[in-house]
Amino acid sequence: MELIVLAIKDIFRRKGKSLYLLVAIVIPVAILSTILLTFDNADSSLSNLASKFGFTLIVQPKNVRVDRINQIGVNTEEYIPEGVVREIEKRVREIILNPKDRIITVVRFYKDEKVLAGKYEVSSVVAGVDFKSELEAKPSWTLTDGRWPTSDREAVLGGTYASSRKISLNDTVTINGSEFKVAGILQNYNSSEDYMVFAPFAEVQKLFDKTGFVSVINIQNVSLDKDKKLLQAAVEDINRNIPNITALSPQQFSTMKYTLLKKTLKFLLAIVVATVAVSIFSIFNIMTSVLYSRVKEIGLLKSVGASRSQLLTIFLSEYLTIGLIGGMIGYPLGLFMTYLLDSFLLKLGTGVRVNLLYVLVALLVGVFCSFAASSYPIYRLSRIKITESFRTQWEG
Amino acid sequence: MDNSNGTAFLELKNVNKTFNLSYGEVTALEHVSLTINKRELVALVGPSGSGKTTLLNIIGSLDRPSKGEVILEGTRIDTLSEEELVHFRREKFSFIFQDAKPLRMLNVLENTLLPFNFFKPKNRNGNIRNEGIEIIKSLGLGHRLYHMPSQLSGGEIQRVAIARALITHPAMILADEPTANLDRDNRLFVIETFRKLSKEKDIAIVLSTHDLEIANRADRIVHLKDGVFLKDEAIACPPCKV
Ligand SMILES: Nc1ncnc2c1ncn2[C@@H]1O[C@H](COP(=O)(O)OP(=O)(O)O)[C@@H](O)[C@H]1O
Ligand SMILES: [Mg+2]
Repeated sequence: MELIVLAIKDIFRRKGKSLYLLVAIVIPVAILSTILLTFDNADSSLSNLASKFGFTLIVQPKNVRVDRINQIGVNTEEYIPEGVVREIEKRVREIILNPKDRIITVVRFYKDEKVLAGKYEVSSVVAGVDFKSELEAKPSWTLTDGRWPTSDREAVLGGTYASSRKISLNDTVTINGSEFKVAGILQNYNSSEDYMVFAPFAEVQKLFDKTGFVSVINIQNVSLDKDKKLLQAAVEDINRNIPNITALSPQQFSTMKYTLLKKTLKFLLAIVVATVAVSIFSIFNIMTSVLYSRVKEIGLLKSVGASRSQLLTIFLSEYLTIGLIGGMIGYPLGLFMTYLLDSFLLKLGTGVRVNLLYVLVALLVGVFCSFAASSYPIYRLSRIKITESFRTQWEG
Repeated sequence: MDNSNGTAFLELKNVNKTFNLSYGEVTALEHVSLTINKRELVALVGPSGSGKTTLLNIIGSLDRPSKGEVILEGTRIDTLSEEELVHFRREKFSFIFQDAKPLRMLNVLENTLLPFNFFKPKNRNGNIRNEGIEIIKSLGLGHRLYHMPSQLSGGEIQRVAIARALITHPAMILADEPTANLDRDNRLFVIETFRKLSKEKDIAIVLSTHDLEIANRADRIVHLKDGVFLKDEAIACPPCKV
């Protein structure tokens, strides 16, 4: 029989205590895995978003605060005067090397508003857009149903928006007292647009008495796309010279959107550290009592010829096995918790994916907890003399 | 001292043992000199606290004397390092403790073979497992080979300890109160088994007991009191005295 087999047999004999230890290890591992996986999801959701954007440069009002961006990630509170658009285009043109490169500018106007859609009024994000320039910038924008609006009184609905309210083509939605006919329904892109109502730009501005103002200016340009340094230069130039606006690369924009989430996750990470500490402490206590109850057993093993290193092998492999099992249970539990967190709270929409690196991290953390808690008592016990082990009234 | 029935296997020369405690020193053994021969069955007898366990520990190199020498087959062993002693003990000694239960997660056969989890048997031909089975059978536990310790009686547990002691072919077995918790039949079984083994397998056996009926079945009784020898008494015809 191998020493390891001896160790494993012992784990099964001590089912109750082993289980207790296992729980103490599984909990921090599961929480840690949840956080890592959610971080990961946020990251990929972020890069999805950036690549989905299709824009090179985004300009929005300067005082848009992260925590005031509404829940689907658009600013519906602060506006920029339309006149800024020309100035921005001018500056971009000066920075790019080839003046003949096309610059497509897409402006949008966003407003949070109760919209009568179907039977009920629902609070919605209304986007005023110029469908022509949008399509020019994003030829992949696709309708699953209907056509693009041809008149001022027609609207397009985000896929989720339409389906969740059971609105179909040619129904009407009433925005701020004006009726719009639903001309088309957008394909779902797993982005905030799935939840929006799109209507012609000038109409929406007028509806909300905001003619001459926009919420966001998006610029598309090939040479800036290709050259990150050039893009950065344009961003800096605009920020320096035009007051009251903030220019961002799509990456920066998305990052901003997730700053808050990341702050929350970092806070959770601190909790994990605390959980791990508590867990190590409680494992330490269990270990100590378990191990001290095993003093006679250690004396016996030594008396039949076990050397110190062999004893260490037995006991360490016993507790490392528990640590490994803890990691192996904690990780899937973390996956499940990530799934719950995402479905009910965060809605990052990236799905839950297994990350091999994190499997490794989970196993290591499990082993670490177990090791950190057991190595000292194990070390001390392995030094106990046979004569001591039988004299002392250790009981267990 | 009667050394006539064998050759000297182990010798203690003027051994003292003191323990340093917070409130002072405790002398457990004083000026103990003793020779143990091959094939000899020796009983250490004395009241509780008289130093029997301490003496057994020193004989078996589990503990070192404070003064004096321990000589095994001509080699002084009380000065060896702990590492050297581990190898020494594996080869020469087997221990039976009053309090050492077999490992609870192993069955009778596995407990018997336990020492070979830690070292390879030397100079053996034949299958170790089969030998283990033979030893267990010879101790009357043939029907218990694959039983777990929790299913055994006290007497059976002590036989497992004896089987485990025998599997390594020791030159000497040291047994601390091996009969203390047993009923009379089992006590007699243990001492008779020891008698037989010492003669048939050339094993020197030292046991401690405060049971004179048991002690009188040994070849020799060493009486201890307060860590000093009272007398060293050879029993001419051990079983006859019972
Ligand atoms: N490790 C030790 N530390 C302190 N005192 C000890 C130790 N071992 C034995 N003693 C003392 O030595 C004396 C002899 O003990 P022991 O050898 O156990 O006697 P016995 O086995 O005959 O009952 C006792 O007074 C005991 O308290
Ligand atoms: Mg004793």
